[in-house]
Amino acid sequence: MSIFIQGVGAVTPLGSSAGETWRMLCEGGYAPRVRVPGRMADRDYLYCPLPAKFMKAARAPRLRRSSALSLAGATAAFDAIEDAGLKVGPELGEHCAVIFAICSGGVNYTRRFYDEIATQGANVASPLLFTETVFNAPASHVAALLDFDGKSYTLVGDSSVGLSAIHFATQVLATDPGLAYCLVVGTEEMDWLVSDAFASWLMASRHGQFEVYGRRTGTVFGEAAGAVVLGREHGLRIARSSAGGPFFSVREAYRAAAEVLGEVVSSGQPDLAISSANGTFADEVECRIFEDFCDAAPVYAYKAALGEALGASAVLQAVFASLALRTECLPGTLSAGTRLKRVNRKTRSIKGASRALVTTIGFNQQANALMIEN
Amino acid sequence: MSFANRSKRRVLVTGMGIVSPLGIGVEANRDSLQQAKDAVSEVTSFDVSRTRCKTAGQIPDDWLGNKLELSRKTKRLHRSSHMMIAALREALTSAATPNPELLVAATSSGGMSNGERFYRRLLAAAPRRSNPELVANYMPQKPVLDALWAARIRAPVQIISNACSSGSNAIGHAFELVKAGMHECVLAGGYDPLGELVFVGFDSLQAATPEKIRPFDRHRSGLVLGEGAAMLVLESEASALRRGVSAVAEVIGYGVSTDTYHMTQPNPSGIGPRMAMERALRAANAEAGSINYINAHGTATIFNDATEGLAISALFGQVPVSSTKSMMGHALGAAGAIEAAFCVVALRDQFLPPNINFRQPDPESRFQVVANRALPAKIERALSNSFGFGGTNASLVLQRV
Repeated sequence: MSIFIQGVGAVTPLGSSAGETWRMLCEGGYAPRVRVPGRMADRDYLYCPLPAKFMKAARAPRLRRSSALSLAGATAAFDAIEDAGLKVGPELGEHCAVIFAICSGGVNYTRRFYDEIATQGANVASPLLFTETVFNAPASHVAALLDFDGKSYTLVGDSSVGLSAIHFATQVLATDPGLAYCLVVGTEEMDWLVSDAFASWLMASRHGQFEVYGRRTGTVFGEAAGAVVLGREHGLRIARSSAGGPFFSVREAYRAAAEVLGEVVSSGQPDLAISSANGTFADEVECRIFEDFCDAAPVYAYKAALGEALGASAVLQAVFASLALRTECLPGTLSAGTRLKRVNRKTRSIKGASRALVTTIGFNQQANALMIEN
Repeated sequence: MSFANRSKRRVLVTGMGIVSPLGIGVEANRDSLQQAKDAVSEVTSFDVSRTRCKTAGQIPDDWLGNKLELSRKTKRLHRSSHMMIAALREALTSAATPNPELLVAATSSGGMSNGERFYRRLLAAAPRRSNPELVANYMPQKPVLDALWAARIRAPVQIISNACSSGSNAIGHAFELVKAGMHECVLAGGYDPLGELVFVGFDSLQAATPEKIRPFDRHRSGLVLGEGAAMLVLESEASALRRGVSAVAEVIGYGVSTDTYHMTQPNPSGIGPRMAMERALRAANAEAGSINYINAHGTATIFNDATEGLAISALFGQVPVSSTKSMMGHALGAAGAIEAAFCVVALRDQFLPPNINFRQPDPESRFQVVANRALPAKIERALSNSFGFGGTNASLVLQRV
């Protein structure tokens, strides 16, 4: 059974839609960095925020009190639905499933709610905040906006969870003949706590930039959401998806990634790859798997431009892979180091490219890959 | 394989493991269900002096510390990892060491208590560097990966967080994969430890009660939280035959619905639960009259029990119903998995688990509440309900083998 990517959507620090973001990336756009708010100790971090004006979904009454996580997710979701040429209504609501990919979740509301408990007492903690702390709040809001009563799942995991969600969606479509579409959304908001947590693992940079495939300095985080509409016909075919592979230590990451990539590449060599390189150990693992499994495909890594958006990042990679095939253009990787020779350094035409590989090495023990073809 | 051929494949439960306030292990939980044990007690792991509700179903630390025979390395892990390790270990042993291709797990809050400690340390001292161990164990996937590591299994993992329906969603998704012939053997279940943030959250919503939890009682006043983990081994009949293992039950149906009426309140019409149950029955190709027992979501909140009761009454009439949350509290993301496992035990040992603390029927409910003590019964099919925040509703239909 073939499954196709029929539409893509996004909201990122560089654009209020997937198309606008892609154009900016192809033009060498670099998301502005600002200080992460909410500092609790003597250290600052920079991040790539989502401009409030990009959150088109904020106009929906249901979302008036919801978190940036939900607003971004809904904005990307509607961008993907529009790109797929679908109309929100009973027809879509009846035949669509919704799958969300989440990493940190509603961390702003969670922090505010717990801060009230810890500093003022449990008796004053606001129930309005609590409801937005649940991982599936964004999925619930989008389901409500789609006026839908069917299958809705939220998957949690690390920065590879988006590919896990896309694979999950292919499973849902394959097992439910009543469904015509599956909307997959990855979304992420940022908080100082997240940066500090990753810094404790030596995986977050205190500076505003980092190299990909270069010195391992840690990453810079960004807020974003990405979405794809999967269907049973038309669009870019999912040649191979995977449930991913776990690894129990950084030392084992290569073995897990090699197993997954070996399986995915068995469907054919890619013409290009969209990588998850983010200035951490993931870059070294990806260098090795590209050298061992991919013949000569140019590699594009977007995170130096937009920041590491965790739960959104792998779905965004799938969005960018789709747009690269559609537009026959591959952006130049910003801040690229010297460890991977085939990294694409300047925006260029990739006319005739028909297969795109997406790879992810999660920070917390998951590797995954996806192959799509035109 | 066509959709028609898929419908003929059987999905068997060939093993399971349960860790709950009612006991460690399937047999200990079965004994507690039959004895109508009340495992709800005063919360000791965090301050409850300023909350209305002060009780929960808790797994004593010494159960996790001493009864599990953990290695030195595993002992250092968070208690949610201990729960998952114990549940997975028992499931694998009881299924005679299967070869799972996938693990579908569920949780609603993961290792949130680590996040709470992380935050309190920052508030108290703003240390020069935060504790990386707390961060690592905060991630919801960590206890699942710890359990896989301890069991030396390298299966891929999918972790569903659909609030309180997560556990049923995990089992339901695994069921659909095996049913469709996409996998031969899938591990499915869930875990959730008790944590302060979630406890206070339910208290702030006034969904938690300072009294006893009384599902479906006319004078019910709210839920109490619980914790635990359960894992089921779902396997195709062909795989079970090939391995020479017998089944303890069969999963025959799964239905879901999304009720978008409100983030935390169900549509008063009961349409959400009703659609999930109807879809599960349709998937099972079963009539409502063939269901002999319903393990209800039954949180004992005014709204949940009213809408679930309405839907059960309309669909099933006089069916025996109990909420085992009355004995151990609401284990959130783990609840659906634990309660599906309870249904398997009920089908295997032919009894109706009780709904304790029950005093007076709700006049709106037409079904028979299994009040206060377990009853021997002939049960061929059971239905398990789980409904969650965000309007996620899931129902499973299980059958005796």
